[in-house]
Amino acid sequence: MNINLKIWRQSSGSTKGILKSYRLENIDPNISFLEMMDILNIKLVKEKKDPVAFDHDCREGICGSCGFMINGSPHGPQKATTVCQLHMRAFSNEEDILLEPFRAESFPVIKDLSVDRKAFDRIISSGGYVSTNTGEAPEANSISIKKEYADEAFLSSACIGCGACVAACKNSSAMLFTSAKVSHLSLLPQGQKEGKDRVAKMVATMDEEGFGSCTNTGACSAECPKEIGQVNIARLNQEYISSSLSSLLKKKE
Amino acid sequence: MSILKLLTSSVGRKILMAITGLLLAFFMAFHLFGNLFLFLGEEAFNAYVNKLHQLGFLIRIAEFFLVLFVGSHAYSGTLLWLKNRKAKKVISSYSKANTSNAARSAAFTGSIVFIFLATHWSTFWYKFNFDLQGMSYYYVVTESSVGFGSPAVSIFYIVAIALLGYHLKHGITSAGQTLGIVGTKYEKIYNNLSAIFWFWIPLGFISIPIWFGFIARVI
Repeated sequence: MNINLKIWRQSSGSTKGILKSYRLENIDPNISFLEMMDILNIKLVKEKKDPVAFDHDCREGICGSCGFMINGSPHGPQKATTVCQLHMRAFSNEEDILLEPFRAESFPVIKDLSVDRKAFDRIISSGGYVSTNTGEAPEANSISIKKEYADEAFLSSACIGCGACVAACKNSSAMLFTSAKVSHLSLLPQGQKEGKDRVAKMVATMDEEGFGSCTNTGACSAECPKEIGQVNIARLNQEYISSSLSSLLKKKE
Repeated sequence: MSILKLLTSSVGRKILMAITGLLLAFFMAFHLFGNLFLFLGEEAFNAYVNKLHQLGFLIRIAEFFLVLFVGSHAYSGTLLWLKNRKAKKVISSYSKANTSNAARSAAFTGSIVFIFLATHWSTFWYKFNFDLQGMSYYYVVTESSVGFGSPAVSIFYIVAIALLGYHLKHGITSAGQTLGIVGTKYEKIYNNLSAIFWFWIPLGFISIPIWFGFIARVI
């Protein structure tokens, strides 16, 4: 198959970027999107041109490194799929494909399609630690957890922190990401002890990092490669309300 | 966490918006209850408004809180809107419509509703309280030029209330999400009740200009 690419080229965060056109011919429809990008880069290097920078690591859809906008959607047209798991057969012959980096004030462009998502790491680290014994693997049945809670916590923990939610959101809000991280721990007994503090700190960091606020449009869940649900945001709000109330009451004592 | 910190965080502002929004939606139900007296005839409506006036300062206190709710709802909404605009970078290709229009246009519909409220207070509320000029309350609403005697007022009223319903279509569910009702056992009841506020109550309001402004004039 043949494709016409339009790719955002920006040599560094401080310079201006432009869209450049590239054409690739005889692409096997069964290769992955990132393999197609490799073919393009090999071609560019052979022509002594600057290859396109993009983030990737595991290429198995579990690390959260890859991700850019394909035709206006984070991770492209296929539902619940990261860019690395997307294949060229999802596109048609002679299709125009537009590639842009994730756009948000809090995700500055490093180069081309690669953006700095350290703001996410800072939100995570502001959440602090979980009290747990180190050493040998804990005895599996010493803490019993209801199946529903374990399942929900697992669904929340599936978040790979790729940033697609921020890119999909019209407000560049990091609520889905933060809420997945908050509810992943708040649903489990191990996460209870520091829970009240954790949610307050993570929301404060999220605000400081300049992310927008959530207007409950649901765009994030619609585009999330791991299908993290809106219910996580409701859980974050619950946690935040109870955290605020308990700290207000504590002060009065 | 201090109260100030709570109310100025993004989630805190949204909680404030959710609570004030829901309280205003409840007030709407009460307001409609009064408006429906119009259909019972001139005497019934005038008697109802007189009853309210007899409550005196209680009404003023209620009005103070209503203005406070509208003000803080609009103020928080505007600040969040500005923050959100700042957080977003321009994009040349934009995502397909993966969200509802009601959600994306909430700030716009809210602004129109705010303009409507301003005209609503400067006409009906002002006339009822200070500038009756011997007219009956019923006459002000159904016949006068600030009421549904004017087709322009009727049409603006219908459009504004329809937008208010659209605003609430997103607003009520959004408040449920912000207050953490989603994902609990109350979610279903809440969502079922929400249609009362975004559909049936606005429909009740709209029925009044449609009847008095148009149908009653023709038949």
